Formats: sequence, C-alpha cells, structure tokens
Amino acid sequence: MTPSGRGARVDVILSLGVIALGIAAAVVAFSLPSAGGYSRIGPNVMPIVISIGLILLGAVLLIECMTGGWRARTPDDPAERGEHAFLPGAFGWVSAGLFAQVALIHTAGFVIAAGALFACVARGFGSGRWGRDAAIGLLLGLGVFLFFVRFLNVNLPAGWLHPLLGGAGL
Amino acid sequence: MTETFGALLHGFGVALTPLNLLWGLIGVTLGTFVGVLPGVGPALTVAMLMPITVKLDPTGALIMFAGIYYGAMYGGSTTTILLNTPGESASIATALDGNQMAKRGRAGPALATAAIGSFVAGSIATILLTMLAPVVVEIALKFGPAEYFALMVFAFVTVAAVLGQSTSRGLTMLFVGLLLGLVGIDEQTGQQRFAFGVPELLDGVDVVVLAVGLFAVGEALYVAAYSSRQREEMERLTGSLMMSREDWRRSWPAWLRATAIGFPFGSIPAGGAEIPTFLSYATERKLSKNPEEFGKGAIEGVAGPEAANNAAATGVLVPLLTLGIPTSATAAILLAAFQNYGIQPGPLLFQTQPDLVWALIASLYVGNVLLLVLNLPLIGLWVQVLKIPKPLLYGAILVFATLGAYSLHQSVVDLLTLYVFGLLGFGMRRWGFPVAPAVIGLILGPLAETQFRRALSISQGDPSVFVTHPISAALFAMTAIILLTPMAVRAYKRLRAGR
Repeated sequence: MTPSGRGARVDVILSLGVIALGIAAAVVAFSLPSAGGYSRIGPNVMPIVISIGLILLGAVLLIECMTGGWRARTPDDPAERGEHAFLPGAFGWVSAGLFAQVALIHTAGFVIAAGALFACVARGFGSGRWGRDAAIGLLLGLGVFLFFVRFLNVNLPAGWLHPLLGGAGL
Repeated sequence: MTETFGALLHGFGVALTPLNLLWGLIGVTLGTFVGVLPGVGPALTVAMLMPITVKLDPTGALIMFAGIYYGAMYGGSTTTILLNTPGESASIATALDGNQMAKRGRAGPALATAAIGSFVAGSIATILLTMLAPVVVEIALKFGPAEYFALMVFAFVTVAAVLGQSTSRGLTMLFVGLLLGLVGIDEQTGQQRFAFGVPELLDGVDVVVLAVGLFAVGEALYVAAYSSRQREEMERLTGSLMMSREDWRRSWPAWLRATAIGFPFGSIPAGGAEIPTFLSYATERKLSKNPEEFGKGAIEGVAGPEAANNAAATGVLVPLLTLGIPTSATAAILLAAFQNYGIQPGPLLFQTQPDLVWALIASLYVGNVLLLVLNLPLIGLWVQVLKIPKPLLYGAILVFATLGAYSLHQSVVDLLTLYVFGLLGFGMRRWGFPVAPAVIGLILGPLAETQFRRALSISQGDPSVFVTHPISAALFAMTAIILLTPMAVRAYKRLRAGR
C-alpha cells in the first residue's frame, strides 16, 4: 500500500503546500485589526482560527506521509484508476481555449470567443475537425448570445459582430 | 397540522398557476437534459442553469430550481445505467447493478424502476418534509446564535470528516472553503480581508464561480488529460420499458425501505446521499432471497439506491429550508440561488414569506409528477443526448460554464478566477480531495462567523455560552464524538497490534 517514491514525494509537497497556505493566511490574519466593536470579536479572530486550522491539517497530512502514506490514497498508476496516462497536449488545449476566451471576449465579442473556446476544447478531447468544431461553437455562441441579449436582457459583448448583431455592444 | 395543510393548499394554489407550472416544466426538462450529460452532476446542473432565471420573480425562479434539482438527479441515473459513469458519488451504488441490467438487455426495466422509485421515494419524502418542516421551524425559532453556531460546526464536521474517503483531506478542503469565504469585506466592521486591494475581490468569492470552476473546468481538464481517449460503451436500450409483475413485486419493498433510510439521512444536518445509497444497497442484498444476483443485475440493487438517493435529496431540503444550512454541494448552490434573490432560508422565512416557501414545497410534489409523466416517454431523446461525442459535449459544457461565471459581473477577472479554481479542481480530483466541503465551507463559513460573533456579543465576550446552553453543548459533544471516535478506535487497534 505504501506509495512509490515519486508519488510519496508529491504527497509531501502537497502537505507542505497546505502548511504554507496556512502560514500565508496567518500572516494576513495577524495583520488585521482586532477591534470588534459591539461583538468584541474582531475581524481577525476567524481568520486566525482558520489559518491555524490549515497549518494543523497540513501537519496531519505530513504525519500521514511519514506513517505509511495518505489514508485511502488515489492510486498513482492511471491504469489502476481505469484511465490512460496524462496527456499534456489535451490539458494544454483545454487551458488554451479558456485563455483564448478571456483574450477575445472584450474585443472580438462573446460569440467569437465562444467559438474559439469550443474549438480548442474539442481539439483537447481529440477532435481533428477544426472547421466543424469552430462552426458549431460559433452557432452555439450565437444562439446563447441572442437568447441572453434579446430574451433575458442580459448584456453580453457583441464585439466585432456588433454591426451584424446590433443591440448590446461593448 | 391543519394549519400546515392550509398553508400547503395555498402553496399549491401558487405553484399550479399556469405560469409557475410552466417554469416548473421548463426546470424539470432542462434539469433532466443537462443532468443526462455524462460528467455533469446535479450541483453543476443547478449552477450552470442559474443565469437563465434572472428574469423571473423569486417564486417562479425557485420553482424552476426545484424542477432543475429533481430533473438533474433523474437525468443522472439514466446516464449511470446506460453508460456506467456515475455523475456523482451518490449514483455509484446504482451503477453496480443498473449497468449490469443494461448489459443483459434489461435497460428498460432498470430505467423504469429508477424513475418510478424516484417518484415514490420523492413523493413520500416530500410528504415527510411537509410534516417535519413546521416542527423543525418551531424548534429552530428558539435557537439563539450559540445554537446556530454549534449546528453549523456539526454540519461542517460531518460533511467534511465523515462523508469523504479521508477525514484529514475532507477537513483540509473545508478549511480552504472557509478561507475563501473570508475574502472580501467583513460585514460587521467594514474591514477588508484577503482582498489585497483588488476591487473584484471585495464582493467575496462567488459560490457559483467556485462550484463551476471545480466541477466543470476542473472536470474538463481532468477528463481531457486522463480519460478523453478512453472508449466508452453505451448500453443499447432494447426491449420494453415495462416492468414485469415480478419486477414490481421486487421493487416495491426496496423503494419503501430506501425511503425510510434515505430521508432521515438527508434531513439531519449531516447531509449527503452517498451513505444512504450504499446502506440501501447493502440492506437489499442482505434481505434478498437471491443475494447471488447482486452485482449481476438485481433489480432491487437499482430500485433501492435510486429511491434512497431521491429521498435523501428531498431530506436535504429540510435543514436547507428550515435552518438555512446546506449539507450537500447542490444544496449550497441552491442556497446561493436563494441569496441572489435576497432570500435567506431559515425559520424566519416560514413566517415572513410563507407564500414563497409553501409554493416551493408544493412545487416539489408537482415536479415529481412531471418527472414521472415526462421522462419515461422521452427516454429516446435522453439516449440521443448520451450519444453526443465527448469533444462537442465538453466544448458545450465549458461555453455554458464560463457564461455562468462571466454573466455575474461581466468581468474577465471572474473567468480567470474560474480557471484558477479549475486547476484546483483538477488537483483535488487527482489527489482525492473532496469538493463538497470546500463549496459548503465557502457559503456557510461567513454565516457561521456571524452567529459566532453574535453569540459572543450577547454573552459580552464570555465563550462559555457555547457549553452552558444545553443544545449547543450537546451539538458540540456530538461533533467531538463523531470526529474523535474513529481516531480513538484506530489508536486502540494500533496499541493492541503493537503488543
């Protein structure tokens, strides 16, 4: 049951990460004022409690690492989880899609950003048909845009398509 | 009792107006449609469909949410049976025999017993909810801040420590959620906390952004990286949907027993539908005359867990509506939906807005009927939905997920936050950290802090209020027992083994 060298190292790093998060939170928490007004309990009390809790939990996880590994640990071997090996490309394409959307939504507008997101995500999931995916994404984005802007009166940026779509431009 | 009946009747009056009935119908249909999508659980369904209710009045919106909530669960069981990919932990028990039945060409009866069982369990559980809610409200009205705080701590600990695989990782995620809940302006003093001067953070972290980030973005990243190239086989829906006389005879007792197991588990503020579904599965196997059938497609193994799941999901609404305490990720998102309309669930809501509460409860009865009437006939449509190829499916999920986050404030910062939570969700999935405690911690943490400070301001700073009030003391004692017993047992075993 004891995890192999590499997996065990990751557990240690993650446990230390929880402790680090707790310490960082504690630094902020202790810098908050303690004056609490009526309640006598200042805005710093809960932050201090929570950050100390995180440090303690990180310590518990670290102790688990040293005493036979994390309890009920997720297997490191993807085959044991019924999955295939990590595909960095797939992870990258999905991330790229989300960033493309962030970059495009306030310039090219919601519809084009949705098309880019959709096409990149589909690529990440193994689709090789850029044209089809982009077209479906654009149509989906257009449908959502019209439904939200015309029917729900929720403003979404039309961007470059403003001359075509009219209505809400940003 | 008669008072309750009158209020409920009035609720039906509101829920059955044509417009509200329409919202319920739309909710049920959309909820099922999205819930059927593999990899989309009820929590994500509710979160993703939240933006479309912006135009509705609170009553209409909540009726629609009730429909979405029930529909999403029903849709999830269809996916579980035909595809063997449980969308949530509470469906794992159904997957065992449901998928086996489908493999043996009995997908129809499996879907039917799941649907009818959900209807029976959901309806009985709603009746129990109707009777129990006023009683709990009566008690809750006597609660002071100390009792509320104790109750919230109890809910935190059970959700985080008892329900997951690992107590330490569950509690870690709870504290991460609590930390995220601190971000923003402290309501009582106006003090900025953990906002680092970023204007977008002053409003705090939105529950919808966290839930969508963890469930949708995190899930998409994970599935893309680890199982997007996996072949999945869908079982064909052949033969009739009808259950034979034998199927009925075996399903009935399972449905009723499961309701008796699921509802109490859901309604104590410890939440979760996972334990009751497994408990129901184990009970059915134990009571069955042919236990060897279990794991090979025993109909009780589908009827029980599905009914238990629905009964528990209805039970979860008891602490949510009467105490304002969410005990599942889905309930946390429902609470966020309430809050968006400026409604804080709790005992006072039953007094200040009885129309809304009782219309919501009445709509649960209506939703159950609508699901039964709609879904079995539409099963062919849901099967088509299941056939959407993964690349297109996840493309669409992310378009809607990002839309939900973006439309909150029309802000790119929310989209970036969403990605950060997506990375967090990926890591949590990979290393086995549960999602629900983080979501519940985020939304319930600020409420718990308020009660904590109120209790101490009433007692003039004396912390002994939490142990001198009997109810609060009892709740803290129970929390300690739940948390410490497993540790003590382990320590004792180690001690004996060491000898």
